[in-house]
Amino acid sequence: MLKNPAHPKKATLRDKECAFSKAGVEYIDYKDVDTLKRFINDQGKILPRRVTGTSAKYQRQLAKAVKRARHLGLLPFVSENLR
Amino acid sequence: MAKNFYELTYVVNPVLEEDQVQKEIKKVDDVLSKHKADVDQKEEWGIQRLAYEMDGKNSGYFVNTYFEVDGKAIEELERMFRIEDNFIRHLVIKYDNKMKRHYEKKKKGELPEVFPVVEEPEETQVPES
Repeated sequence: MLKNPAHPKKATLRDKECAFSKAGVEYIDYKDVDTLKRFINDQGKILPRRVTGTSAKYQRQLAKAVKRARHLGLLPFVSENLR
Repeated sequence: MAKNFYELTYVVNPVLEEDQVQKEIKKVDDVLSKHKADVDQKEEWGIQRLAYEMDGKNSGYFVNTYFEVDGKAIEELERMFRIEDNFIRHLVIKYDNKMKRHYEKKKKGELPEVFPVVEEPEETQVPES
């Protein structure tokens, strides 16, 4: 949401909209690992909201789902990639 | 105590043969039926790779059940999971209305797609035969 769209530096800023509210999701299930995988980086960490643009309500649900998935071994706590 | 709707997911030691795994699963079903639980759905995902090593194993036999049961049954269920050593992991979740609506939708198959799969039309070369 840009106050002054004509501003030279900020014109390119575009805030990402939340994927979950766009889709109208009610509960993020810890079992659909493919969706969760898109919200963790390659080390297995949960991506922050400023990167994914998720709204606060869904970010909390997302974090809970990821932690449950990690507990059951569906998602790694730390995935070491050979750099 | 009130009857609540629960989801239980547990991981059985994959080293066992098929019939032993079924025996373990039967233990869980017995505890549930003892407490007059009405099991709504039971899926066995079979042997899945784990994301990290759990007491020396890299895969596990996953079972996922949804049921409605009295609250007291959960204590006994949890105790059983801790005592039996063939269960590597277990997770019991109580479903509230929001999660139940999600579950109903999932059964009917109208879950909202978070990332709709967009098939890019690849150009298929027509073989000139």
